[in-house]
Amino acid sequence: MNHLSEEQIVLHYYGDAEEAPEIERHLAACSECRAEFARVQSTLKQIEPLEVPEPPASFEEKTWLNLRDRLPEKGGFLKRLLRPSPPKWAFAGVMALLLAAAFLAGRFWPRPGHQIAQQPPSQVNPQRVILVAVGDHLERSQMLLVEIMNADTKGPINFSSEQAEARELLDSNHLYRVSSQQAGDPQVARLLDQLGRVLAEIANGPAEVSPGDLEQVRHTIQSEGLLFKVRVVGSEVNSRVRRPELSGGSVNQRL
Amino acid sequence: MEVTDAAVVAQVLAGDRDAFRVLVDRHSRSIFRVVYRMAGNQQDTEELVQETFLRAYKSLERFELRANFSTWLYRIAVNRTLDFLSARKTHMQTKDTYQIVDQPDAEESNQVQLPTSTPGPDRLLLSSEMKQKIVGALGLLTPAERVAFTMRHMEGRSIEEISQTLNLKASAAKNSVFRAVQKLRQQLEPYAGQGSPSRSSRWGGSAVK
Repeated sequence: MNHLSEEQIVLHYYGDAEEAPEIERHLAACSECRAEFARVQSTLKQIEPLEVPEPPASFEEKTWLNLRDRLPEKGGFLKRLLRPSPPKWAFAGVMALLLAAAFLAGRFWPRPGHQIAQQPPSQVNPQRVILVAVGDHLERSQMLLVEIMNADTKGPINFSSEQAEARELLDSNHLYRVSSQQAGDPQVARLLDQLGRVLAEIANGPAEVSPGDLEQVRHTIQSEGLLFKVRVVGSEVNSRVRRPELSGGSVNQRL
Repeated sequence: MEVTDAAVVAQVLAGDRDAFRVLVDRHSRSIFRVVYRMAGNQQDTEELVQETFLRAYKSLERFELRANFSTWLYRIAVNRTLDFLSARKTHMQTKDTYQIVDQPDAEESNQVQLPTSTPGPDRLLLSSEMKQKIVGALGLLTPAERVAFTMRHMEGRSIEEISQTLNLKASAAKNSVFRAVQKLRQQLEPYAGQGSPSRSSRWGGSAVK
């Protein structure tokens, strides 16, 4: 007599075997298969659902706040046309101004050894301004990369909004890369260099891409571990921005 | 009377973006629980919950108003988590070129310190040796096996639900669950005090027909 296969026993445990009556009859008659069934049962009973911690009370609020600005407008072309353009442009402009101010401040700022004691404490720290701008840039780049990695791959894909975002990011990427290099963060500069190449690939591609094209872009992102690096460096930059003093070394020292 | 999910979706589609918050408030906790069981740590779970809602928002035009929104959202969450687990696995496989270390060496440009290197709840909550073995064994499953096993074993979802969610044939869903159990048995039974070895190592494919 043939015995039950392991697959039959496992599926029978979950009630998913197709030939349940035959399996039941066999188990009643065969002590060896009964013992095997008991082993499966005993092992699986030990695997309890993972305990899930309760998220904090503010979880819904936090989720919404993180999500809100990433949600594109819906409701048709006319509605979008009549609304003011998204604040990304304004924000990018403000960032560019801040960065220019930081350059000027860096150029004309008294060197720390000379008159640091006379500096009013409220004055802008140029290094901090650059870090804030780079942190925001990396966060936006991360969102774009996540969107690309998650995009549906069925049929031709409209890539125009991702391209517009990539073009915007590409414009500032070069500036931030140079700034990071000058600020003594070669690791960030290297990452921005790598990011710039991928942004250029996205920005310069066709507005409608095939699943194969999309797969190629994803492959580039994945093979270079770009999303991961952007996440790690972005998180490090943001944690440095939050520190009260910005004298601590470059991101390079932590990588 | 509470506004239905379908009515809220219609409102969002008409251009009221803020109405989407109602859906976030209603469903984010249940999605958190679903994702956590598969991803295994809070930080990844929180990001995946956000990405689930982002993907849902972007695909909202494809949601059929007569369908159940929570089921639709659940499918998005599971698939997003599956993609994430696959990507995480790829990262782990390529760590020889990009190392994850506790104390990075400033001279080594290919080393990176993870933002959160604390052990996930997998390891914090499970204290006994056997429970640690279970976590280790779950970690050896492929992403598809882990998701299918979690859905079947831990959430009690049917094979039909698994196959619909993962867009698989029922036979493939069953096979994923079976392969997961097979691997778990191989890892766990030697420690479970079950003296005699599992029969699968002795008898191959004979089966009752």
